Amino acid sequence: MEKTQIGLYLCRCHGEIGQTIDLDRLAKAMGNKKGVSVCRIHPAWCSEAGLAVLREDVEEGRVNRVVLAACSPREKEIIFRQAAESAGLNPCLIERCNLREQCAWPHREEPEAAYRKAVNLINMSLARARQAEPLDPLVFPARKAVLVVGAGIAGLSAALDLAAAGVEVTVVEKEAFAGGKVARFYRYFPRFCPPGCGLEYLMAEIRKNPRITIYTLTEVVGLDGGPGNFQVMLRQRPRFVRTEACTACGKCAEVCPAERPQAGPLPVTKKAIYIPEGFAYPLAYALDKEVCRGENCGLCAEACPAHAIDLKAKEREFSLEAGAILWCTGWQPYDAGRLELFGYGRYANVITSLEFEHLALQCGSASGRLLRPADGSPVRRIAFIQCAGSRDVNHLPYCSQVCCTVTLKQVQYVRKLAPEAESYVFYMDLRSTGEYEEMYRRVQEEGMAIFIRGNPAAVEEDPASGCLTILAEDTLAGEPVRLENIDLVVLAIGMRPEPGPESFIENLATWEFPSGHVQCFPFETQRRGLYVAGCAQGPMDVAGTVRSAAGAAMKAMSVISGNFTLPPAVPVVDKNKCDKCKRCMEECPFGAWSWDETQYPAPDLRKCRQCGICEGGCPLGVISLRNFTIKQLTGMIEALDMEFLGRGEPTVVAFLCINDAYPAADLAGRQGLSFPPNILTIPVPCAGAVNMSVVVEALTAGADGVLVGGCPSDQCHYRKGSDLAETRLNNVRETLERMLVEPERVRLVRLQADDRHLFVMEAKRFVAALRALGPSPLKP
Amino acid sequence: MPPKVNLEKCDGCKAEQEPLCEQICPGDLMTLNPETKKAYCRSLRDCWDCMSCVKSCPQGAIETRLPYQIGYYQAKLIPLMGTNRITWTCIDLNGKVERFSFKTRND
Ligand SMILES: Cc1cc2nc3c(=O)[nH]c(=O)nc-3n(C[C@H](O)[C@H](O)[C@H](O)COP(=O)(O)OP(=O)(O)OC[C@H]3O[C@@H](n4cnc5c(N)ncnc54)[C@H](O)[C@@H]3O)c2cc1C
Ligand code: SF4
Ligand code: SF4
Repeated sequence: MEKTQIGLYLCRCHGEIGQTIDLDRLAKAMGNKKGVSVCRIHPAWCSEAGLAVLREDVEEGRVNRVVLAACSPREKEIIFRQAAESAGLNPCLIERCNLREQCAWPHREEPEAAYRKAVNLINMSLARARQAEPLDPLVFPARKAVLVVGAGIAGLSAALDLAAAGVEVTVVEKEAFAGGKVARFYRYFPRFCPPGCGLEYLMAEIRKNPRITIYTLTEVVGLDGGPGNFQVMLRQRPRFVRTEACTACGKCAEVCPAERPQAGPLPVTKKAIYIPEGFAYPLAYALDKEVCRGENCGLCAEACPAHAIDLKAKEREFSLEAGAILWCTGWQPYDAGRLELFGYGRYANVITSLEFEHLALQCGSASGRLLRPADGSPVRRIAFIQCAGSRDVNHLPYCSQVCCTVTLKQVQYVRKLAPEAESYVFYMDLRSTGEYEEMYRRVQEEGMAIFIRGNPAAVEEDPASGCLTILAEDTLAGEPVRLENIDLVVLAIGMRPEPGPESFIENLATWEFPSGHVQCFPFETQRRGLYVAGCAQGPMDVAGTVRSAAGAAMKAMSVISGNFTLPPAVPVVDKNKCDKCKRCMEECPFGAWSWDETQYPAPDLRKCRQCGICEGGCPLGVISLRNFTIKQLTGMIEALDMEFLGRGEPTVVAFLCINDAYPAADLAGRQGLSFPPNILTIPVPCAGAVNMSVVVEALTAGADGVLVGGCPSDQCHYRKGSDLAETRLNNVRETLERMLVEPERVRLVRLQADDRHLFVMEAKRFVAALRALGPSPLKP
Repeated sequence: MPPKVNLEKCDGCKAEQEPLCEQICPGDLMTLNPETKKAYCRSLRDCWDCMSCVKSCPQGAIETRLPYQIGYYQAKLIPLMGTNRITWTCIDLNGKVERFSFKTRND
């Protein structure tokens, strides 16, 4: 190996550092440390002049590793990285030492302490730099192809967006027809147009586009690989009708003797071989095997002039490769049968809002009059019950966002299909957000419904007439309400996710919908390269669905356009020491681990997010992220002078999560808040990346206290890192207590990125507590 | 005196069929209680007090009491494992504390 030649570059930062820390003295003290070949001071290393010196040192072979004692590693990264690269130095060999935000600025009033802390910080950086490895980003070839699961509005519009960007798109739909829920709606809010219109437009574009292939009756049965190249196993159930040949003339259905219950509240019979009302894509009949009388009957096949029917068709499995996957499986209505007090399932005239769409579609395209499901008599009085099973901890705890607007739309159906009828709406709060408020206003102004604030307590039926009575309390008037002679009750039910993705991904979200962090990573799932869109991501209207689809398509583009690259800080297992305890497999939030062919745990680098939680959890300390190794951390601790501020002054080693806690400390410095110089920070990828043996190492090497800075429990970027850190630290504390060492010496703080005041307060309090405790009994 | 497992701290080594204490015990004495999924020593008499399990436990869940030849009850010997160092704390019958620290790795 090449001899280590570290260039130590001390930065005055135009006085920001130089005024507080005596850099000439520092250069003298540090310039002849082991491995340091060059030690220089500059007013600003990030300036053109500074970078030129740095580049020349590298190019002339004086330096093959760089320690930049300057600003925070979070600043100017690209500038230094590019300078190093242009001089032929691998950027992983630049080590940043934070002398500005976390030394000169916060300790402006104590230059001597700042100087001594700087010595320690540089010693740590030198120790880390000595063991740094040159690494290159990982590059995975990516297929410019995307699999879209679900052909609702979300799936279809994402497919179009992707195809327009030159991507090969395969859409799989589990039903026989594409379009999703809206295909069976009567009208769309807010414009009151037929959904078939929008769907027809989408399909016309899709038909024209040779890059999009749609498979109906198809589901994903297996998933392997990762971003760039997933291998997907698909199973396609037979349609028994060859779509290419079928002309949708309907001769088959005319002769078919088997009947099929039709989705929708009105008892309309359909045949076993059928095509849906309204929008149908593909425009070809499909045979429902459940009700078909089988090959022995065969009447349809005989009747078909196009010979399109094949009653012997078999299920088939096939596989394909995709660079990314969009999960657009949409929503399911909440099970209204669980709302006993509203009588759903018992009374024929109590239906859900989704069924009301079907009813309106049926009635609208037949007589044009709204009829009761029970007996087909005209509807004269109708009541809508909002939040049916929503915003209720016993059912769906959340608001599905669309149900109020849906009702505002559906009372207009009543106006259109039963102009004489009266509509009543029971509600808790009416939530017509954004431009939908206009619909609310119109419905009120035109007197289309009477609004009663109150959640009904019961719905009762008069069995003779099929009419319903609603009992409620009008909470505005403060009096009980009894509405009789109601022909139809519509339950505005909420949305749940369609089941499916959980066989391939663990849901990391805080609710049933498998979306990622709401604001930061809304499309992400546990599995990189697999994104959710539309109502699979959460309840939303069609406008939101289209936006969501475009967003998720963009996410997919990010992994399939060109090669898919990842930073090189991946975990490596020392197989010689691993005893296969499997803790890494258990604790990795992204399910990245499995057994390799030698029966040792190995991470799938494409699933790994490089959080280091495995490194933190490994009981034997044999997992390390590259360039964040346990060996490096140990070296850094050993390099410390644990009495740098003099006897009696505590030394604290602080491991701060780079996402939030470390920025909070930086911010404290930037804003000129001072915190005790006793704190020596080490940035870590996640609080969960800190192995307890490193914490113990710091204590037994003489630190008086160890601070671990993580995120608040529900804000950890890696979901459970800071909670794992807490559990692990609590175990250490308990052991310390048994050893008669004060457990308070080990502490977890949870900080958000802007919690600078909290950081300062915690730091002061911790140092004061340690001072009161006196030197650690574990000090050598 | 044989190992005592702190049931609050022991997590059965998560999914592991053979937890670390079981893997390391030279007498094959530690094992998981199939119901509670927590470790216990299945034959107290056979324990040699080698303390391998105590050192190996990632949760710091195991404690041993010293054999009477060395120290009567209440005397304790507790290891703490760093990355390069092990530190023993010895607390005798009278509560007197002594600590010893050794380097365990020199790489
Ligand atoms: C009663 C009601 C009325 C509404 N009216 C309106 C309105 O007027 N205007 C408006 O903007 N919004 C309305 N909405 C909201 C609208 O329904 C949704 O925004 C829209 O359906 C979302 O589309 P999607 O593609 O995400 O999901 P979906 O429409 O549910 O489509 C999902 C598709 O994926 C398929 N699929 C599911 N699982 C799998 C699987 N495992 N494999 C393959 N395919 C699968 C499904 O069969 C389906 O085709 C209404 C909602 C309700 C409840
Ligand atoms: S670094 Fe994080 S994501 Fe990667 S394997 Fe380890 S625990 Fe899993
Ligand atoms: S090693 Fe510790 S955590 Fe694992 S089973 Fe044994 S006592 Fe429990």
